[in-house]
Amino acid sequence: MLKKINLWHVLLIMLVLGAVVPILFMISNSFKTLRDSYTTMLNLIPIHPTVNNYLLLNKQINLLGLTWNTFFMATIVTIGKLLTGLLTAYAFRSYQFKGKIIIYLLFVATIFVPFTIVMIPNYLVISKLGLLNNILGVALPQLCDATGIMIFLKTMEKIPNTLIDAAKIDDIPNRKIFFNIVIPILKPSIVSVGAIFFINSWNEYVWPTLILKDKASFTLPLALQNYISSEGGTNFPLAMALSTIMVILPLIIYLIFQKYILNSISNSGLK
Amino acid sequence: MNKKNATIELKNVSKQFKKNTIIDGMDLSVKAGEFLVLLGPSGCGKSTTLRMIAGLEGVTSGQVMIDHRDLKELKNDGHTIAMVFQDYALYPNMTVYQNLEYALKVHKVAKEERQNRIKNVLETLNLTKYKDRLPSQLSGGQKQRVAVGRGMVKKSEIFLLDEPLSNIDVQLREKARDELQNLHATNQQTIVYVTHDQLEAMALGDRIAVMDQGIIQMIDTPENIYNNPANLFVAKFIGTPQINIVEVDYKDGNIILNGQPVITDSALKLKEQKYHLGIRPENMLCSEVRQSNQDLELTIEKIIDYGRFVQLSLVDNNGLTLKAIVNTFEFKIDEKIFVGLKRATSLLFNYETDKNIYWGNKL
Repeated sequence: MLKKINLWHVLLIMLVLGAVVPILFMISNSFKTLRDSYTTMLNLIPIHPTVNNYLLLNKQINLLGLTWNTFFMATIVTIGKLLTGLLTAYAFRSYQFKGKIIIYLLFVATIFVPFTIVMIPNYLVISKLGLLNNILGVALPQLCDATGIMIFLKTMEKIPNTLIDAAKIDDIPNRKIFFNIVIPILKPSIVSVGAIFFINSWNEYVWPTLILKDKASFTLPLALQNYISSEGGTNFPLAMALSTIMVILPLIIYLIFQKYILNSISNSGLK
Repeated sequence: MNKKNATIELKNVSKQFKKNTIIDGMDLSVKAGEFLVLLGPSGCGKSTTLRMIAGLEGVTSGQVMIDHRDLKELKNDGHTIAMVFQDYALYPNMTVYQNLEYALKVHKVAKEERQNRIKNVLETLNLTKYKDRLPSQLSGGQKQRVAVGRGMVKKSEIFLLDEPLSNIDVQLREKARDELQNLHATNQQTIVYVTHDQLEAMALGDRIAVMDQGIIQMIDTPENIYNNPANLFVAKFIGTPQINIVEVDYKDGNIILNGQPVITDSALKLKEQKYHLGIRPENMLCSEVRQSNQDLELTIEKIIDYGRFVQLSLVDNNGLTLKAIVNTFEFKIDEKIFVGLKRATSLLFNYETDKNIYWGNKL
């Protein structure tokens, strides 16, 4: 029995190392000089620690601007996805209409359409709208996500009907039922789904590359590409420094979100 | 100023879900200020009836009238109807106080008025010290009181309650029942109360409507429901232990059970055919010695001592089982016992239609 547990521990430790080592590798190399990064790349502690990489990065590119672009895009996309998802789910939850199941299935089916298929039509539409090189052009086609609808609908179905009935008896308008009762109950899943939406959008690469050509409109992943591609990707510590900057915000969000979801499950108050 | 209470009328109301008829041509009228209990087994349509009165469920045909106006035309300003649900349906994200306040706030009741009303209700229901708690931090009985309170602050004309006591402890239930009764006495609202618990119904209702299979079987005062049930279903549904029902024949003024006359009345004028005879267990006159030659001779099969009374299961030679309730405990299992039946305390039902024939006299 004891042996079994130890084996599990070994496996878990290996998994944790597999996840943590690349991050430590990234952070440590971002503090190395160019020369050290070639000679002692695998050392976790830099021999000659330096913050020059970060300073140089700040000189070469507009770090604040890039971060803002990324943040702005991810925020719009997240808010859009949450709002459309919640509203659609509430409609599916509360109203009876013809063809409801078919419409819902069509929505869900879009989850299985690969991005590469809609990429070109989307690009054409965005370019006709004159939104190339614009963060809004990146965000617009992503304001709705069937995954969100599906998750929110499943959560909303757990809200007892009598709760909505009670509000109806009290003659509470639907809009208030939605904002004052349904949304607060759904807060835990809104926060967790929102965090995932945000991080996904923050890390997004392919679609923004198509839309954003002007360096001033770049998001962080696009800027990073410039440091690891053939165009100028020889300064390895510099790329690691940018990677580190890029990872900070999602990491913070993830930590907060993890704590939140643990608390929220036990405090949802429905049971 | 709002009127305190309103009448409710259901006119030939039917309700169908897909192809199932839940309510079939129901007529029901509730007087202003009346406490009406809808009683019936689960699935009998009592909750559906309540939800139709509340306007939560549309009718398939017929009309629901509140104060002689069609429910559909009624502009609900949130003051007409209040409802308490079986699972309380408290807003989980709001404190007790906020739960009571929410509807009033939405309907723009002035702040001072709002505070006064909530304060009064919290005091009446002994909830003042819980006012800042969330529903998840309350016990079942407290939640139930908050749910009632949420209905009370609205000062509605009609108060609908859907099995509000079925989720709380038995010990608390009696107290909650008394509270509801007091509230009704004070506020004089029209109350429609749904339950499957006959004790609750008997204790609370001015009138009880006994329902089965979407049809009101009988609507009357608790006494009449108990003493003069309209049919076999009502007789069986009300009263614990259940009423004894036996197959009897009638001939020349004699009610004959298994060939033995058990009740004789020369004034009786009935058709000579089979009947169902109903005798409530407490009306079985038990004795250790034979009192008359019409007494049934039975053997005690089982004795259950409830403390307050003793319940006997009795069998005769033909395997017929009857239940009797006695107050004094002087019987032993397998002993012989003699039971007399009286016409005045027995019920006679038509064998085919199950209707109470009131011994041939229409009441």
